Order: sequence, then C-alpha cells, then structure tokens
Amino acid sequence: MSDALPAVEAAAPAPARRGRFTVRALARRRAAVIGSTGLVLIAGLAVFAPWVAPHDPAAQDLGNILAPPFWDSAGSWEHALGTDALGRDTASRLIHGARNSLMISFAAMLIGSLLGLAAGIVSGFFGGKVDTATMRLGEIQLAFPFILLAIAILGVIPGRTPLHLILVLGIPGWIVYARVVRSRVLAERERDHVRAAAALGARRSRQLFRYVLPSVWQVVPVIAMLDIGFLVIMESMLSFLGLGLPPRFPSWGAMLAEGRRNMVISPWLSILPGLAIMLTVLSVNLTADGLADVFDPKLRKGTFRRTVLRLPERAEPDTANDHGAATRRAAAPPQRSVEAGARHAPAASGSALLRVRDLKVEFPLPGRTIKAVRGVSFDLGRGETLGIVGESGSGKSVTALSIGQLLDSPGRVTGGQILFDGQDLTRISDRAMAALRGRRIAMIFQNPTASLSPVFSIGFQMREAIRRHGRLHREEASRIAHDSLWAVGIGDPDRVLGQYPFQLSGGMNQRVMIAMAMAARPDLLIADEPTTALDVTTQAQILERLRDLVQAEGTSLIFITHDIALVAEHADRVVVMYAGQICESGPTEQVISEPRHPYTRALLESVPRPDLPAGVRLEAIPGELPDPASIPDGCPFAPRCPHVMDVCRTVNPDQFPVAPDHRAACHLWSPDRTRAGTP
Amino acid sequence: MIVRLAFRLAQMLFVILAVVTIAFFVLRIAAGDPARLVNPPGTPEEIITQTRRRLGTDQPLLGQYVTFLGNLIRGDLGTTFRGSLPVRDAVLAALPNTLALAGLAVLAAAGIALVLGALAAWRPNGSLDRTVLGYSALAQATPAFWLGLVLVMFFSLELRWFPAIDMTGPRSFVLPVVTLAVTLSPILVRTVRQSFIETQGEDFFRAARARGLGEVRLFTVHALKMASLPVITLIGLQLGFLLAGAVVVEAIFNWPGIGKLILDALGSRDFPMIQGGVLVAAIAFVVLNFVVDLLYRLLDPRVRVGAS
Repeated sequence: MSDALPAVEAAAPAPARRGRFTVRALARRRAAVIGSTGLVLIAGLAVFAPWVAPHDPAAQDLGNILAPPFWDSAGSWEHALGTDALGRDTASRLIHGARNSLMISFAAMLIGSLLGLAAGIVSGFFGGKVDTATMRLGEIQLAFPFILLAIAILGVIPGRTPLHLILVLGIPGWIVYARVVRSRVLAERERDHVRAAAALGARRSRQLFRYVLPSVWQVVPVIAMLDIGFLVIMESMLSFLGLGLPPRFPSWGAMLAEGRRNMVISPWLSILPGLAIMLTVLSVNLTADGLADVFDPKLRKGTFRRTVLRLPERAEPDTANDHGAATRRAAAPPQRSVEAGARHAPAASGSALLRVRDLKVEFPLPGRTIKAVRGVSFDLGRGETLGIVGESGSGKSVTALSIGQLLDSPGRVTGGQILFDGQDLTRISDRAMAALRGRRIAMIFQNPTASLSPVFSIGFQMREAIRRHGRLHREEASRIAHDSLWAVGIGDPDRVLGQYPFQLSGGMNQRVMIAMAMAARPDLLIADEPTTALDVTTQAQILERLRDLVQAEGTSLIFITHDIALVAEHADRVVVMYAGQICESGPTEQVISEPRHPYTRALLESVPRPDLPAGVRLEAIPGELPDPASIPDGCPFAPRCPHVMDVCRTVNPDQFPVAPDHRAACHLWSPDRTRAGTP
Repeated sequence: MIVRLAFRLAQMLFVILAVVTIAFFVLRIAAGDPARLVNPPGTPEEIITQTRRRLGTDQPLLGQYVTFLGNLIRGDLGTTFRGSLPVRDAVLAALPNTLALAGLAVLAAAGIALVLGALAAWRPNGSLDRTVLGYSALAQATPAFWLGLVLVMFFSLELRWFPAIDMTGPRSFVLPVVTLAVTLSPILVRTVRQSFIETQGEDFFRAARARGLGEVRLFTVHALKMASLPVITLIGLQLGFLLAGAVVVEAIFNWPGIGKLILDALGSRDFPMIQGGVLVAAIAFVVLNFVVDLLYRLLDPRVRVGAS
C-alpha cells in the first residue's frame, strides 16, 4: 500500500471514522431499532400468550371451520385471522406458536452456547492436547450429516417430547460457539495485561474470569442471536415435516403443513405462519446486526488500512537480513549524488513528456475534505528521472496515482492539468486512460508481493499484461515474459514464471513488477517507493537494475521516495513535497548541495552519513505534518520551521526562483528579501 | 500427499460407518417392533412371530448388526419390509433425482450470489447495494417450505406455468430448484459482495489496473477468482443445510429423491429403507465435502502449493 490512504486517515482518524459512522451506521441502526422493536413485540406475545391470545388455541369449533380473516368480505373480528380446518382460531394458534417456537429455539441456543462456551474456553486456555482433541471433534462433527440423523431419530422416537427437539437442535451448535470463543481466548491470552498477571502469579482461574471472559462476552450474544434465527427456521422445518413438536403444541411449521391441505380455498392458512416465521427471523437477524455494532469494535473500524510500520519483507536468499534504517541510508551517501546528477544532463524543458500544472486532489469525506495535493506543478523530460521526495502524507503518492488516474475512491482531481504527451489525462475517457496504462504509463508500487494477485501464477499475470498491449499468441507472450525477467536479473525465468508471488521474496516480486512494467516499453514509469519494503542490499541491486533499464530504453522515470539519499543518487531533478505542496524543486545536484528551503535542509540533515564521526546526533525535524483537512493559512511548514517569520504564518509563499531552474517556496527567498542574504 | 489422502479416505469411511451404525441402533432400540407395524392391529401372535422371523428382527441386536454390515460390504442393502423390494434399487433410483435437484440449486445459488454480490459491490451503500442486502436479509428469514408453497400457489395454481408437484420434465425442476437456491443464496450473496469490495481495495487490484487491464477483465477474472474461494468454502459448510433443504423441498414437491424416500420410510417404519436412504445420503454428503475441498485446493494455489 502506498501512502495515499494512510495519508488520508493519518490526517485525523477520529473525525473521519465518526463521519463513516453516522452515514453508514444510521441506516444500520434504524434497521437494528426496527428489528429489536419487532423482537420485543414478538417475544412479548410469546411470553404472555395465554393472556394475549383471544381464544384457546386448541378449542375446536367444527361449525365454523376455515373461516376467512377479517379483510375478507365474509370475515369477522371474532376470529380476526380466521379459523383452520378444525375451527381453531388462527390468531391464537400463531401467538402460541411464537411461544413454542421461541422457547424451543432459546432453550436449544442455551444448550449449544453453554457447551460451546465451556469447550472454547477450556480449549483456548489450556491449549495443547485438550485443544487439539476438542477442535478435532468439531471438525468431525462438521463433516457429519447431522441433520440426516436428526430426521431419522426424531422420525422414529415414540412419544416425542419438546425436550428431544431441544437436544437435537441445540447440541450440534456447540462447535460454532467453541471456535469463536477459543480464538478470542487465544487472542486475549497474548495480551499484555493477561501475561503480566500470569507473570505476577495470578491464578489461572482468576485470570480467566477477570480478563478473558469480558472479551469473550462481546462475541457470544451476537452469535446467539443469529443462532436463534437459524433455530426458529429449523424448528419450523422439523415441525412442518411432522418431526417436530407433538401435535398438541401449536407450531408454525405444523400449522403450515396443515394449512397446505386447504391451500386452494384458504391460502392464508399457509401464508400467515410463514409470514410469522419471516418476521421473527428478520427481527432476530436485524437485532443481531445491531448487537454486532454495539459489541464488536472490530466492525466499527473503518475500511481505511493504516500502515504504521513498514517492515522489510522476506530477505533475498543471498543477503544477510540485519539491516537497520541507518545502514540502509548509509548505503547511498549523498556525496555520490554530485557525480550521479552530473551523469545525465537534465532534459531541456521544451521536450517535456509530462507537464503537471497546478494539480489539486481532494478526498471528500463526510463532514470534511482532505486536500491531499494543493497545486503541484512540474515537468518531466523524455528520458529524464525525476525524484519526488517527502514524508508519508506529503501527497507524493497521491500525485503519482493521479497521473495514472488510479486514485482510490473518494479521491478525485479537483483542479489543474496533467498533460501527457499533449493530452490532458484529467479529461480523457476511462477507456482511453486504460489504453495508456501499462502501455505508455507504467507503475510499480511499494509492496511488490501485495501488488501481484496471490491466486494466479507469475506467468499468468505477466502474459495477461503483455497480451493486453498487443495481440500476441500465448507463446509469444511467454517469450517476452521470459526475456523481460531475464533483463531484470532473474537467472531462471522459467521457474519463476511457474511460481506464485507468495513463493518469492519481496525483492524477486519487485523484479517481476519491473519486468512487467518494462515489457511494454512504456514512455513513463512511475515507481512509488519501489524499494521501501526491501532490505538494503536488495534495494541497491534493484535500483541499479531499474536505472540501467530505464536508461537503455530512454524511459522517463518518476521515482517517489521518502529517502532523499536515494533521490540524490538516482534522480536528475528533484521535487521536495510537503503537505501537498512543492517546497523546493531543481536539478538534483544543486538542490542537494545548496538546499534553500528549510525543510529540504532538515531532510538532508536527518540523513546519516558515513563520514560523520560516531556519536554525532542526527537532527530530527520537530513537530508533525499539519492536518490535511484544515491546513492553516500561510506556509504549511511554518509551525516546524526554525526560521519562521511573521509573514510565514499568514501568506503561503510562491515558488521563488533561487537559481536557474531552481525554486523554493519560502519567504526567505522572496524577491523582497533576497538582498537580506541567506539565513 | 498419499498419506493425507489415505487419512482423508479413512475419515470419510469412519463418518459413513458412524452414521449408519447410529441410525441402525436408534431404529432398533427406539422405534418399536416393526413386525407389529407391518401387520394390522389384532393380528395373532403366531403370525407376528413369523413376520419377525421373516424380517430378521427376532435375532439378537448385535447379530442383526453383524449380518447388516456383512450384507452391506457385499452391496446388499436388504429388502423393504413392506413390498419386499430390493432397497438398493429403490435408493439408487432416487439418488440421481436428489443430486440433480441439489446440484442445480447450488449452481443457481452461486450464480445468484456472483451476480447480486458483484452488483452490490459496484457501489457500496448505493441503492443497488441496499436492495441486494435487503434481498439477502429477506431470503435468510424465509423458510424453504413456505417459499415452496407460495411459489406453487402463485406459479402453478394461479398462473399455471409450472407443475405443482412431481418430477415430470425440465419444467418441473424450476420451482424446486428456485426454492432451494433462494434459501441457500443469502450468505453467499453477502460473502461475494464482501469479497468484491475487499478485492477492489487490494494493492494487486490497483496494480492490475495500472497494468492496463480493463474493468471487465478485472472483475470477471481477478475479483471473481478471489470471490469464488469463500463461496466454495461456504458451499461446503452449507452442505448440511442443503441436505435438510432438499428433504423439505422433496416433501413439498413430491420429488422422488432420497429425502422423500427417507420420510416415507420413516412413516412406515421400514428399517432397511431408512438405513439405505441414510447410508446413501451420508455417502453423498461425505463425498461432496471431499469434492469441495479438492475444488478449493485446485483454485487456491496458496493451499495447493503450500501443502506439497
């Protein structure tokens, strides 16, 4: 994941989440309120059935059979919902049916949940053999056609009682509870406070009740609710088949089965019990949804994923794996930048392949709008490498994604132009854009393994991409895939083509991504933190390979990174971004050797250098990025700037030229002040 | 691999044997004397004793069980108590009808789920999404037997489009299959929706888009394969539910399948027939479970490659 969305979220997670909560959960909550109201009504009818029901549900009146309900012209309010084939009052039987159905389901749920709760807690807490045995038993049960046995048993048992039904319905449910409870216990056991309690010698049983049960208690009611809904249907089904409650107990399923015989003259006798079941189960399920919202905090977390830590992926087989951030940076010492920058002359601006003009990108969220990119302009010449550097949340990845028109919803370009070879990418059709992607504009991303689908082989995905760019035979595409893997330094392309991304290291996957991107010989390659997730040796190898390929093909490269040392080594020109704006831009050599913006300077000072004696403290930049939803007037860096002046807090500086082709957005370089000299 | 397979086969055999054994003893212990049930009330004791001898129920229980297992191994499921028909023939005649019904229903349910789930995921929280979620909530609350009856009332009795009962031709499949498919679909719909929404947020989906793949290909190849995995898992988990649903649907539509066969045999206490039906249903259940696992391994390289 590039830093686009975390940038949005890092902005201010709490309000963003609250926004989601109101819009989305309002509908949910309304449903939950309706559901629980319905449930309370139905449960009330069930509990007070003997007093609420207008008639004795068993009282027959053979003189008044199959009486129609009140809405029929022949109906009467005496039997509001009519009578059945024995003249019994339908409404009363429905109410008593609710009582029986809910009682059976509730009792069955209790049996299943208590068994499961006990099994899950024991299994999760003691682990080892107990756990294995319990879970095995569960697996066997899931592979067991329980319903078949239930039907056979209930079908032949003489003198069936409600207890039989409760046991048969309830017992198989234990495994669902046991699994969920077990996983909760396992998770909770690893928590710090439970571990600390264990270290302090707290007795196991005390830990269990004190710390683990409250967490477990959050999940069980939701499952229990859903279980009741399921059990109501199962109970009615068995009763419908004549295997459920004995005939003397009114039951919705049995009513339906009886009503079916008079389906033609009295269709309501079949329809009403079904509606009762539907309303009940619907109410129960909606209530369960509502409970899940209240109890399970996991569901309340937004869909925004946060990448707090970026850990290196599996190391390349040929490298040692102990590389700290400091060594990584030291591998690319800034002083080499001078020769690197001098190697290729910056392209003349007249032949620009890409011109970005005053680009603005916003993420409208409920109640607030995050301005991720606020007026960014730069040019990229053919065959030129542009480095974009900045912290997470500076807008550099969002800029890159908007060039590919790949912004995640709800992000959108709200202003400016992206001129690629003369056409404005912000205005062309989706189709035209899809035709450019991959073929003329290729991208590689930060997390190579996640950037490949786990369920298709490397070969499939490469061929798919290659064939997209020209009508090729499968063999032809395979050959191109093979050659491009070879070109990125993969020694045995055939083996890799048959493998899956999860079988390869992060470095190998990034090579695959580069090979795929370069196979179409794009005019522009955007590399968004291509090596951030990799260890330092792999990083160096891959960047070198990338540079060679790009140079050989004459591809223009946008290289996005938070690591200014890498930019110094690899880019012809550099753009430094901060809070959605460019604060400094110019030829790499010049920006690195003579940084003019205080932020660039701070970035360079935070890079460890091998020539400094050990013990010299690196300068960290104090303060944090501003909240991109409410960036104050004035220079966004002002709160952190060591040279801040009054004007900085009120006026956002323009891009002031500081040298030929070198600009800095800093009031220190305002024409009014330049004569005052460098700070 | 071979060890795993052998283990799996042993487990399948164990489950089948356990089901049959439990059914056998429950029938013998709980169900009362079939000799009295077969004969009309008031039949003289001698005839009842004769009937017992004919049915073999005069033997000790364990002896009956051993005989039953021995015959089972030879593929002999005995003869029915009533008509003296070979149980095996009756069961084998009924099985394809149930498999056709259940198979078509699963396919239809998966189809409904993929279409509705993808439509819902297209604009999460949009009106289409809410409609689909509403369908899913309603379908989950709808009992199969009621839906079947309502469909019959409307499409058979009212409109006379499809036959109300019996398996008489392709048209007679429509209502039973729809009934079963709709009751299977709600969880599948929600799973597919969730999977499509999650996949759209995945890095590889965006990377595939960046590679120039069109929306149609992205959805019909990449998102669909990701969504098919949980669907297959769920279908495996719902096999029991499917079995129960098939029994009910067969009862409603008078469908000549295993479910109806077992229900009828239960009514007449026809032990061999019940046992035969339970046995075949258990085998089908276990085998289908296995097939679902195989399918999953085939589709998900993480499982397939990880295990070998």
